Amino acid sequence: MKAECLLENFKKAIGQIEKVAGKNLTLPILGAIYIQADASHLIIRATNLNIGAEIIIPAKVSEQGIVAVSAQLLGQIASGLSGDAPLSLETENDNLIIKTKRSKMTLKSMNADDFPTLPRVVTDNAFEIPIDQFVSGIRSVSYAAATSDIKPEIASVYLYQDGDQLVFVATDAFRLAEKKVKVGNVSEFPEILLPVKNIGEITRILSEFPGTIKVSIVENQIAFSNETLYITSRLTGGNYPNYRQIMPKESKTELIILKGDLQNILKSMLVFSDKFNQIDLIINPAEKICTMTSRNSDTGEGVVNVEAALSGAAIDTRLNHKYISDSLQSISADSVSFSFTEPNRAMVVKGVGDPSFTYLVMPMNR
Amino acid sequence: MQDVQTTWQTVLHDLELVVSKAMFTTWFKNTHGVKSEDGIFFVGVPNEFYREWLSTKFHKEILKNLRAHDEHVRNVEYVISKTAPIPSMSPKPQPTMQAKELPLEMSVGRRDNLNPKYTFDNFIIGPFNEVAYSAGQATLRNPGTYNPLFIYGATGLGKTHLIQGIGNSMKIKNPNINILYTNTEKFTNDYVSALQTNKINSFKEKYRSYDVFIMDDIQFLSGRDKTQEELFHLFNTFFDKGRQVIFSSDKHPNYIQGLEDRLKSRLSQGMIIDISKPEYESRIAILNAKCREHGIAIAHEVLDFIAMHVEGNIRELEGIFNTLMAQMDVKKRELNIQEVKLLIKNNIKPKKNVSVEDIIKTIAHFYNLDESLIYEKTRRKEIVRARQVAMYILREDFSISFPLIGRKMGGRDHTTVIHSCDKIKTEVQTDTELAQEIEQIRSMLST
Repeated sequence: MKAECLLENFKKAIGQIEKVAGKNLTLPILGAIYIQADASHLIIRATNLNIGAEIIIPAKVSEQGIVAVSAQLLGQIASGLSGDAPLSLETENDNLIIKTKRSKMTLKSMNADDFPTLPRVVTDNAFEIPIDQFVSGIRSVSYAAATSDIKPEIASVYLYQDGDQLVFVATDAFRLAEKKVKVGNVSEFPEILLPVKNIGEITRILSEFPGTIKVSIVENQIAFSNETLYITSRLTGGNYPNYRQIMPKESKTELIILKGDLQNILKSMLVFSDKFNQIDLIINPAEKICTMTSRNSDTGEGVVNVEAALSGAAIDTRLNHKYISDSLQSISADSVSFSFTEPNRAMVVKGVGDPSFTYLVMPMNR
Repeated sequence: MQDVQTTWQTVLHDLELVVSKAMFTTWFKNTHGVKSEDGIFFVGVPNEFYREWLSTKFHKEILKNLRAHDEHVRNVEYVISKTAPIPSMSPKPQPTMQAKELPLEMSVGRRDNLNPKYTFDNFIIGPFNEVAYSAGQATLRNPGTYNPLFIYGATGLGKTHLIQGIGNSMKIKNPNINILYTNTEKFTNDYVSALQTNKINSFKEKYRSYDVFIMDDIQFLSGRDKTQEELFHLFNTFFDKGRQVIFSSDKHPNYIQGLEDRLKSRLSQGMIIDISKPEYESRIAILNAKCREHGIAIAHEVLDFIAMHVEGNIRELEGIFNTLMAQMDVKKRELNIQEVKLLIKNNIKPKKNVSVEDIIKTIAHFYNLDESLIYEKTRRKEIVRARQVAMYILREDFSISFPLIGRKMGGRDHTTVIHSCDKIKTEVQTDTELAQEIEQIRSMLST
């Protein structure tokens, strides 16, 4: 193999794809990046068998061929490259030689024939969605998904279409986030469960591309693609829990607070919070009292009188403050509302005037 | 034929020798044999990546090895199987210390087992079941009003239709409601298998996660003590949370043999309603509804004849109706009344002709007495009791006249018989043991 390409392009592609490669695997080839030089492109590919990605960059190829080298190694080298000079790649014996204007590096390569092919998702029902909205929708909820693999259904982000909106849902059974994003005419987006483990990489790579992306979905697999990019991930099988029925329909107590104020209070609560992140929240609208308390047997106790608009019945509950602060990243409104039905039922967090995001937090037992 | 799992295991052993260890653990560890059909062997793989790779890279090797063990195999297909464990690609994240939080009540892929065919639209209401129907409607409007709602009646009278109809209507009213319709058999099996696999907690959790619990044919619970205990606790949970529970049985709970008293009292605390046999008018209504449902017209006199002569349960009525339809279909015309008479004669169970002597014999046998003792003029307490029960049953169940009973019972006066019947009748109300005895005798007589 012998090829030349722009250093800038190569560096960017490696940076995007490097993290997709597997780590701590029994099969070393999965920790490699695969590079193929065809007529006029370099195809750069990595996979960990859960997710696979491929980026195509233009190149001047004088000799076609394939090579596989350690992703970690290549990543380190690529991040150190600078300048806009052309970069040449050449294989010699079992080595890949990377040359720039000033430097020459020789990397040990692996047997590229052992590198897995990426499954191609072929369907007639592919459609385009705007990357921006898709990524922000997923990021608005993905932190709420379960992290353990015990229940794969909830270790996923649930996506489905509701009219002209795409709905993103994630929960770990203690809190739940739902985001609705208007995407216009998405013809038919099927219900899917996207494994949360793959979401970081998918959104990270997608967010570096502008415009829209083609989405193809078959039963167990999803792919995102355009002319230069192809990402594919497995989908979680099974059914998502019927979460709509637990969404509270009414509210008996409501608290509205400026988002900035809330962030400051939560920060100060952090000082005294124990390992369960507990805070006590007492709301008494009749006497206009609202306090948050956190205590820790080792460090002490903090009480904050919260300045907020209160209404409804008095309530006294205990919450995990981390769950609350998690949700604030998804709220763009200036004010945040908490609404409650009963002390042992879920609290609903919303941005005031923003119906697209709903967040449920279960109280803690006392 | 060899079991696919074993075949695949032996193939794996062979492959292990050919490919490197690292390759083997990565690509083959999580595969398994699924099935073998028409010469095609299906291999379950964790996801699309595996399918792609195995079919491009190892296909020949796999096929060769498979053929060595099973010459019928002509091809191999790879299917993505959800049962295959997905290998964890990153180190397992440590579960964060979750405080004792209430888990959201969620369920995964549940099925309510309700048969959508049973709705209130095709439920015929007559005097025989109107109380049960209105109780069902009340439950529908305000779940938890009658908790539990207990419907009982003989077989084939529409208990299942009614309770499933309640479930289906609830679902229409609130599509997100979690309903479970089950029967005693399923519940018991589920419980037993949970015990065997040590998953009793997930069993409890599963059943406690429903909003409405409907259980059919609970008379089969008799003698299943542990299952009853489980149901008892389950019911308490539902009751405390104000969630609706609906039961059906062929007997009043007090007469279900081998049912624990605490469960009986729970069953009795809500509303107990019986469905009796449909009377003539209702039978006509049911037949008319059937005609409408199938879009056929049958002469009024024919329907009248059927309703008049088929006195049994609704299922029998349906049976006759279906036979009628089939006959009409074959003959391509309506049947006349003569043909219908013939049809019914063949289909109806002949009315049971039990002789008085037989009944007395059965009852004497039940009380472990010699038959002749019943007829004798003795006042020994146990014999008197048996005799009185016999008179009561003859009168109540077989409508035999008082004087005839007296004559059959060794020439007693009809006033003696009246007295005995009244006595047992009042005692039955209070004496549950006696009531059970009579229920048992009745079931013996009806078989």
